[in-house]
Amino acid sequence: MAGLIEQERYTCAIGALQTVVAIPRAVPILHSGPGCGVMIKGFFERSAGYAGGETAPCTNFSEKEVVFGGTDRLRNIIKNTYKVLDTDLQVVVTGCTAGIVGDDVASVTDEFLYEEDRPIVHVETSGFKSNNYVSHSAVVNAIIDQYVSRFEQENPSRSEKNLVNVIASIPYQDQFWKGNLKEYKRLLEGLGLKVNILFGPHSGGVKEWQTIPKANFNVFVSPWYGEPIVKNLQRRYGQPYYKFGYLPIGANETTKFLNGVVDFALEQGAEIDEKKARAFIAEEEKAYYEELDNLATFLLEFRYGLPSYVHILHDAGYVTGLTKFLLHETGLVPKEQFIVDNIPAKYQAQVAADIKETSDKREIPVYFDPDAGAMQDIIRGLKHKGRGLILGSGWDKELAAEINADFLSIACPTPYRIVLTTNYVGYTGGLRVIEDIYNTALATYK
Amino acid sequence: MAKELRQIAIYGKGGIGKSTTTQNLTAGLVERGNHVMVVGCDPKADSTRLLLGGLHQKTVLDTLRDQGEDEIELDAILKEGFMGTKCVESGGPEPGVGCAGRGIITSIGLLERLGAYTEDLDYVFYDVLGDVVCGGFAMPIREGKAKEIYIVASGEMMALYAANNISKGIARYARQGGVRLGGIICNSRNVDREAELVRAFAKELGTQMIHFVPRDNDVQRAEIRKKTVIQHFPQSRQADEYRALAEKIEQNDMFVIPKPMTQERLEEILFEYGLMENVEADYRI
Ligand SMILES: Nc1ncnc2c1ncn2[C@@H]1O[C@H](COP(=O)(O)OP(=O)(O)OP(=O)(O)O)[C@@H](O)[C@H]1O
Ligand code: SF4
Ligand SMILES: [Mg+2]
Repeated sequence: MAGLIEQERYTCAIGALQTVVAIPRAVPILHSGPGCGVMIKGFFERSAGYAGGETAPCTNFSEKEVVFGGTDRLRNIIKNTYKVLDTDLQVVVTGCTAGIVGDDVASVTDEFLYEEDRPIVHVETSGFKSNNYVSHSAVVNAIIDQYVSRFEQENPSRSEKNLVNVIASIPYQDQFWKGNLKEYKRLLEGLGLKVNILFGPHSGGVKEWQTIPKANFNVFVSPWYGEPIVKNLQRRYGQPYYKFGYLPIGANETTKFLNGVVDFALEQGAEIDEKKARAFIAEEEKAYYEELDNLATFLLEFRYGLPSYVHILHDAGYVTGLTKFLLHETGLVPKEQFIVDNIPAKYQAQVAADIKETSDKREIPVYFDPDAGAMQDIIRGLKHKGRGLILGSGWDKELAAEINADFLSIACPTPYRIVLTTNYVGYTGGLRVIEDIYNTALATYK
Repeated sequence: MAKELRQIAIYGKGGIGKSTTTQNLTAGLVERGNHVMVVGCDPKADSTRLLLGGLHQKTVLDTLRDQGEDEIELDAILKEGFMGTKCVESGGPEPGVGCAGRGIITSIGLLERLGAYTEDLDYVFYDVLGDVVCGGFAMPIREGKAKEIYIVASGEMMALYAANNISKGIARYARQGGVRLGGIICNSRNVDREAELVRAFAKELGTQMIHFVPRDNDVQRAEIRKKTVIQHFPQSRQADEYRALAEKIEQNDMFVIPKPMTQERLEEILFEYGLMENVEADYRI
C-alpha cells in the first residue's frame, strides 16, 4: 500500500463513468467535484465519448455541499438532465467528496424511480475505493441489480439457448474496445450464437441489456477484471461462464478460444450446428494464413532491419495475449514483460502460468507492478541484442527513444495515436498488430 | 408468508443508555424466539459487550485495516453472543483522527458484501453513537437499511433536546425515503413526573412513549458481570421491564414521520411539567 506510484496507467474508480458512456443512449451523472470529469477526460485524451469525461452532467460538489450535504443539488442536476438530454438510462456515479460526507444517493435516485418511473441507477465510485478496472464491474453490476432486474419477468433466466453475454474489454480503458467488441460479436455470431455485446455502436442499448438474464451462458475474456460481473450473473440467473484468461490475438489463440466456446456451448445445450461452426473457424484461419504468406517475403527481405525483441507494458490480458501472439506468429521475441494494471495478488499466479506456458524453450520474466515509472527504470537497465520494440502507453515513447527501440502506442493514455474502430483481437486483430508493428519500423526508413 | 426483516436504528443523547437498552431489548427478543443481529456503529465498540460477555475483539474497521478488504472473512468480525445473537462492531479510527462517519459507511457496506444479512434474521439493530451528527452516522437509516427508529430519552432537558434534534434528522430522511419513528423509549433518570413529561413530549412529536424503563441498580450489577439483566437476573423486575419493551416493539404498529418542535415549544412543555423549576433533580440511583 505504501509509497508513490509513478505513471498509473488507469484512473480512479470514477473512471467507470466511461462504462456508462459506452452504452448507447445511456448517460452518467457525476455527483462529484468538477475536477473528476476533467481528470478522466485528460486521461482518455480525445476519446471520452458523448457526455463523457467533463462533459457529463455533474453536481460540481464544493465546500457548501461538503458541509450541508449534496443531495438537493443532485436532485436538481438530475431534473435538469431530463430537460436537456433524451436518454434511456441514467447512472449516478459518486466521487470522493460525496462518498466521504455520506450523501444518501439511493434515496434521491429512488425518488425518480418510484415517482417518475425513470430508468435511473446509482453506484458508489469514490476514487479512494478502487480504480476503474475494479469499478467497471461495480457499475455493470449496479445496472444489472437496479435496472435489468426490473425486466426479469419478460426475460426468464437462461431461456434463450443460443444467446450469450460477452464480458470482455473495459470501454475506453481498452482503447481498442469498440473494434474488439465488434470482432468478438462477429466471431461468435459466425459460430451460430446470438450475442449481447452490451457496449458500443453494435450493442442494442438498454433493450439488449434487458435480455441479459435470457442468455444461456456468458463468455468472459479477461484475466481478472470483470469477474464480479460473471459471478453476479451466475448467482442471479444461474448462468455459467466460459473463461478465456487473456486476449485471443492471431490464429492460434483465436482458434483455441472459438473452439472452446463451441465445446462449452454444446455442453450447455446451445442449438448450434457444430460442423458449420468449426468450418467457420477454419475459413477464418485460412484467410489469416493467406496474409501471413503474403508477409513472408517482406519479413525475409527486411529481416535485418526489423525489431527482434519486445517489452510490453499493459494490463494482464494484453500482455499475455500479445506475448503468445508475437512469439509464435511473428517471431518477435518477448523479453521482460510488465503488467501494470494493479492485478490483485490472487490472480497473478494464473497469469504467470499462462505466460510461462507460451514457450518451453524461453524464460519470459514477468513483473506485476502498477508503478510503470519503476518498470521503465527496469527496462533502462536491461541489455538485449538486436533492435527492440516497446508496446505501451504514450508515456513510453520517450523511453523507447532513449534506448533506440521502436515504439507502438497500444495502451492508455494515448497522446500519440488515434484509435477509432481498430481491433486487436481475433484473426483480423492479429493481422492489424502485424501491420502496426511493421509500419512503425518501416516509418523509420528515410 | 416470508417473514420480513425489521431493521431498527437506536438513537439518543450520549450516555443515555442506548447500548444497555438495545442489548437488553435484544435479549428479550431472542427469548421470544427471534433471530437478532446487533451492529454497533460507535468507535467505542461497546455496543455488544453485554451480549458477548466482554468487548468484541475484532471490529470491522480494525480487521479491514490489518487484513485488507480481499482477505476479510465474515467469521472474523461476526461473533455469536447470548442465545445465538449475532454481534458486529463497526469500530472506527482513533479519537481525533480520520473520519468515523465514513468508517460506518465503509463497514456497513462491507457487511452487506460479505453476506451478513442472512435470511433467518428477524431483527437487525444499529446502535449508533450520540446524535445524528453527519451523513456517516445516518448510514443506518439510509435507503434500503433501517426503516424503523427508536429514540432513547429521559425526562432531562438535554435528552429531550437531543431527541428533538434527532427527529429533525429523521424527518429529513423520511421525506426522501421510507424511514419512520417507532417511538421514544424512556430510560428513566428518576426525574419528577418523568413519564408524564416524556409522554407529552412524544405526543407533541406525533409519536408515542413506547415504554418506560425504570432506573435500577440491577443494570449496573449485571453490567459489571458483562451481562444483560435478562441473562444475569432473569427473575428480576428489571428483566421483566425489558421483556415488556421487547413485546411492545414486536407488536408496534405506530410508525410516523416526526414533527420536530421549536425550541420555544420544547421549553413550554418542560415548564408545564415543572422541570424547569425542579433544578435539583434527583440523580441518585
Ligand atoms: N435503566 C437503567 N438503570 C440503571 N442504569 C442504567 C440504565 N440504563 C443505562 N444505565 C447505565 O448508564 C450508563 C450508560 O449507558 P449506555 O452505555 O448504554 O449509554 P449509551 O447511550 O450507549 O452511551 P454512548 O452514547 O456513550 O454510547 C451505563 O453505565 C449503564 O449501566
Ligand atoms: S480520486 Fe476522488 S476526487 Fe479524485 S478524481 Fe477520483 S473521484 Fe474525483
Ligand atoms: Mg453506546
